Amino acid sequence: MRAYSASSEEALRARDLLKDWAGEGFLTEAQYQRMEQETVCELRRTNIFLRLVLFLFTLIIVGAAVALFFVVFLPRSATQATGIFLLMFAAISYVAAELAVSQGRLYRYGIEEALAVCSVAFLCVGLDLAFFSGVPYSSREIQFVIPAVGAIASLWIWYRFNLWYAFPAAMIFAIFLPGYWTASHSSQHVFLSVFYAAGLICIAPVRSRHRFDYLEDAYSLSEAFLWLGIYLIFNLKISALSLPSQWWSNTRPASEFAVPFYWTTWVLIWCLPPLILTRGVRQKDRFIIAVGAMTTVLTLVTNKPYLGWQRHTWDPILLGIALTGVSLFLRRWLALSPAGVRHGFTAARLSGKDKHTMSVGSTVLGLVTPQSITPAPQQTNPDFRFGGGGSGGGGASGDF
Amino acid sequence: MTILTRLEQWKEHGIISPEQHALLTGLSRGEPFSLFLELNIFLYAGILAFVAGLGWTVSTWSQQLGDVLVLTVLSTMLAACFWYCFSRAPAWSPGETRSPSPAFDYVLYLGSLIWSVELAYLENRFHMLSGQWDLYLLVTAGLFFFLAYRFDNRFVLSLALSSLAGWFGLTISHWPSHQDAAYRQYAILYSLMVGGVGAALQRRGLKPHFFGTYLNIAANVLFWALLSAVFNREGYLVWLLCLLAACGASLAWGLKRRQFSFVAYAAVYGYVGVSAVLIRDMNDGTAVLGYFVFTGVAMLVMLVQIARRFGREA
Repeated sequence: MRAYSASSEEALRARDLLKDWAGEGFLTEAQYQRMEQETVCELRRTNIFLRLVLFLFTLIIVGAAVALFFVVFLPRSATQATGIFLLMFAAISYVAAELAVSQGRLYRYGIEEALAVCSVAFLCVGLDLAFFSGVPYSSREIQFVIPAVGAIASLWIWYRFNLWYAFPAAMIFAIFLPGYWTASHSSQHVFLSVFYAAGLICIAPVRSRHRFDYLEDAYSLSEAFLWLGIYLIFNLKISALSLPSQWWSNTRPASEFAVPFYWTTWVLIWCLPPLILTRGVRQKDRFIIAVGAMTTVLTLVTNKPYLGWQRHTWDPILLGIALTGVSLFLRRWLALSPAGVRHGFTAARLSGKDKHTMSVGSTVLGLVTPQSITPAPQQTNPDFRFGGGGSGGGGASGDF
Repeated sequence: MTILTRLEQWKEHGIISPEQHALLTGLSRGEPFSLFLELNIFLYAGILAFVAGLGWTVSTWSQQLGDVLVLTVLSTMLAACFWYCFSRAPAWSPGETRSPSPAFDYVLYLGSLIWSVELAYLENRFHMLSGQWDLYLLVTAGLFFFLAYRFDNRFVLSLALSSLAGWFGLTISHWPSHQDAAYRQYAILYSLMVGGVGAALQRRGLKPHFFGTYLNIAANVLFWALLSAVFNREGYLVWLLCLLAACGASLAWGLKRRQFSFVAYAAVYGYVGVSAVLIRDMNDGTAVLGYFVFTGVAMLVMLVQIARRFGREA
């Protein structure tokens, strides 16, 4: 069912690990050379930059080719005919992606990924135009088929090609589903959380069978996305992640959330982060720990608006002190144990990837100045202004 | 065959020692599990939140708190940060040096950001340079460059480069007219200067590992400046030639040094620039779409060849 054989993917994983270990000095050059010869794989890979550029140009080609087809051959076609042709293009794109993998042996090469992405996009737009254009508003419920098909197709792409980003794409498609079934925002939130919880229930037993193999990261990431999704659904104060009906219009929801539902979500946003963190720590799962940390911070940030309390200008200072304190305490606590390892955790760097990430991250993040995240000041005095920082310099260009 | 099975086989064949086998098997199983990256991200986020809150508090409550209190608090924190760094730092070395403690880099970053907040406060309250506050950016950039090289800190180097860019930008803001052309000239000057200084420092062996940061920032600023000129209606041909020359240099550098970000810059910026010139007078939609199909295929073929020949590994 998967596009790549387990042996090929295991070989690629082994090559990556060997490269990392050799870089860290855990293997000698001679050992690395010999071991690498035993992990030869027929799949073609490339580096991240060429992968991104190849993805971009494949998107350009496919998009332009399809548009050219309609301009040349069907300049004034009916909407339904356009939809049917788009469905055909979806099939062609998907077959091309399969051929790129089976014949071209491409693996995370950009080309096959763009073709797979295009197939899902054409499928959804084609379905909409072919079957639902001109559908009266009263029959709108049946249109849930479009996001449902999008979600299923994305899940298939995720499973078949092992492309991690297809999983969150499926989750995003799923966000649109409850809007077709109920107008109640509370019910929409509950529906979505049930979807994601069902996903968690499905993934948990499957991933336990793939401990320490090439699929571990894929399932770990998917589980992390599901936990994050559940948290974001319940945190009603993260306005950008409200339901799609509110994305497209500026109108407020017809009915506010019921009081019991509102306070239940408040309890949940406090319960979920420790639950996620515990799960991550027990599983020693990097992605789930990251989601646990992220949701903890989000809960702290959104707690005051939830309770209707006023924000203070020193709140970020307290948050900063808390984050820094936790980080330093954990680091010290781990370092003080024998060999710097406590309960199987260490603060030491064990992978060259971490060093590379830190190096790139410090360059990019160093350009981000605090001014860029500083909210507008409270107007206590019209003579005082603070902001700017658009010219960098850590805010030295800002004005009061 | 999983990595654990392979490691077992390599141990049996004597390729790795039992000690190596134990270590590598443990690493494969996440034993021990490193929290290095997570703890660093927490520290960075904490510093950023702290300084953001500090700036917000100072700007909102400065009148109530009074200049003396604000400046005393900011100066005390600044002095504490720099005292910590100068007292803990190892002797300077032109090569890459390790931080004396995990928090060291972040304390320096915090000090640099507090310096910026205090400087902005001073100028806006007391107007010591009578509005010539772009000079503060130059001074700040100089200080940050010194700190970055003294303590081997990429965070502060990026701050220095962005401060310097700000100084160039602020100079332009005083120009009464033709800001676009002037901005472009300054952007090009900035990128050439940053690239040149970075190369010179690398040749002299002064923190050569910083060169990548210099080059990436210089390349992106240069490409943006050249692209903005190519999009002009008049006099764009010279700029197009400059863009193509820059793309060629970027491509050659990227392939020679196996730094594929520069190959990507050359492909994307070059394609956008050439396309902007070629299709600007095309009114026929078919021709435009045909152009994208054929040139897209040509680019794809070229990039696949490059990927097959030079960029095999992930």
